[in-house]
Amino acid sequence: MTSHSAPASVTIKDLHKSYGEVEVLKGIDINVSPGEVVCLIGPSGSGKSTLLRCVNLLETPNSGLIEVAGHSVTDPDVNIDKMRTNVGMVFQQFNLFSHLTVLENCTVAQIKVLKRSKAEAQKIALENLEKVGLADKAGRHPDQLSGGQQQRVAIARALSMDPQLMLFDEPTSALDPETVGDVLSIMRQLAAEGMTMIVVTHEMAFARDVADRVVFMDGGVVVEEGPAHEVIGNPQHQRTQLFLSRVLNPTAQ
Amino acid sequence: MALSPRQKQNYWRYSQYALLALIAIVLVIVADWGTLRDKVFNPDIIAHQFPGVITVALKNTLIYTALGFVVGLSLGVLLALMKISSIAPYRWISTLYIELFRGLPALLVFIAFGYGIPLAFGLRLNNYVTVMLALGMVSAAYIGEVLRAGLEAVPKGQYEAARSLGMGHSRAMMTVIIPQAFRIVLPPLTNEIILLTKDSSLVYLLGMSVAQYELTKFGREGISASGAGLTPLVVAGACYLIITVPLGLLARHFEKRAGARSRK
Ligand SMILES: Nc1ncnc2c1ncn2[C@@H]1O[C@H](COP(=O)(O)OP(=O)(O)O)[C@@H](O)[C@H]1O
Ligand SMILES: [Mg+2]
Repeated sequence: MTSHSAPASVTIKDLHKSYGEVEVLKGIDINVSPGEVVCLIGPSGSGKSTLLRCVNLLETPNSGLIEVAGHSVTDPDVNIDKMRTNVGMVFQQFNLFSHLTVLENCTVAQIKVLKRSKAEAQKIALENLEKVGLADKAGRHPDQLSGGQQQRVAIARALSMDPQLMLFDEPTSALDPETVGDVLSIMRQLAAEGMTMIVVTHEMAFARDVADRVVFMDGGVVVEEGPAHEVIGNPQHQRTQLFLSRVLNPTAQ
Repeated sequence: MALSPRQKQNYWRYSQYALLALIAIVLVIVADWGTLRDKVFNPDIIAHQFPGVITVALKNTLIYTALGFVVGLSLGVLLALMKISSIAPYRWISTLYIELFRGLPALLVFIAFGYGIPLAFGLRLNNYVTVMLALGMVSAAYIGEVLRAGLEAVPKGQYEAARSLGMGHSRAMMTVIIPQAFRIVLPPLTNEIILLTKDSSLVYLLGMSVAQYELTKFGREGISASGAGLTPLVVAGACYLIITVPLGLLARHFEKRAGARSRK
């Protein structure tokens, strides 16, 4: 276990986001307790990524409030770079730095942003690479790794910053099916260690087994939320039922 | 008997080789080897070009190219950063500059710096300064565009990943975006150096002392001095190729390397 920071809570209140005329988030309220794992599910285009990206301000909300560990993120005078060091983000397309080795990917921000010494940064990076099972690939470049391996490095890179919160945006959607399991099992382990996690995913088995809570979004609003087994096992709203039946039985008519 | 597709293809290929061989034979028979030797590849005149063509002309061509490149690259970096800036007037200035200097003949810019500006403002620029400004300002427009394209070719996700690790805008640019853009622009940048090497011949317009002659001027003077046709220009031309051909191979090498990386 290499994360020493206490897990953060997340509060999202009446969040609105528009692109031009189009309102993509229409008043979102979500609370995440420290150490809780929340899965965001919903059809493509429902605003899941936008919501996740608002939490670390890759997108600027139009109105509403977001707090991470009690600190307002939406305050216009927030030190955004400092806030982001506490929030790890894992992207669908991995986004590893292609000109750096695996080890350098995991040390560069530690050294340049957290001002850790190179030796300390490497030690922490190797611990996290060990954790994702890729310490032996430390000297490789990202293009020499499979998609699943790249995503595991991306997780190690984020963890090397000792985040209090991890955001995952469809981390397994770009992977070959046989590598999905490795990534999910690392996320599962992270959840068990008590990390606060918000995960956008289409992996319903993962959501059911790992998430404390599932939030179903459609058309920029939260349609239904609750304990994972309830939302997935016994959805109340028709839109949730329709979505789940499509995801769980893609070939059925 | 009908030929198979493969036989047809071979037949077609061999007939092309036969045609080329025939043209070569005709050229060899028709050519006036004596005149060619005398006027184009005259060994005495070739010998006479040395060592000056190397120690003076080739050296100066390299110096002028390097001077132009230093200015062109510095100004080009500035233009590229201005062009992708979020501050609109910077973008306008950069666009204006690039369109202006890409749209004008380099020759016109040289005349402006060599004759126009001294006449208009009564200030006589040092030849080296003139070369730096004229070559540098023209190449900056092209280099700026090459660099801008390189910066924009770095996937947006790289910037977002850097920012989400807590790097500020400048830090993300310096640590992640510019190093990657640099790899992308190496082949086109090498091509720009080739163009610059050739454009350095325009220095020929300025009133240069003998010690400042570059390859084209040196070849031109060689013709006047020897009255012996093309030979001095052939020597000067060969010297250009000594610079530009390896650069071309280098650009191809960079391209292949970049291709091998991005294919995965
Ligand atoms: N940068 C953007 N500019 C304009 N529209 C966008 C942008 N990003 C997302 N959108 C739109 O916002 C909506 C929600 O997108 P997104 O949050 O990516 O949905 P999801 O992740 O649930 O598939 C979509 O209709 C999408 O087209
Ligand atoms: Mg999405």
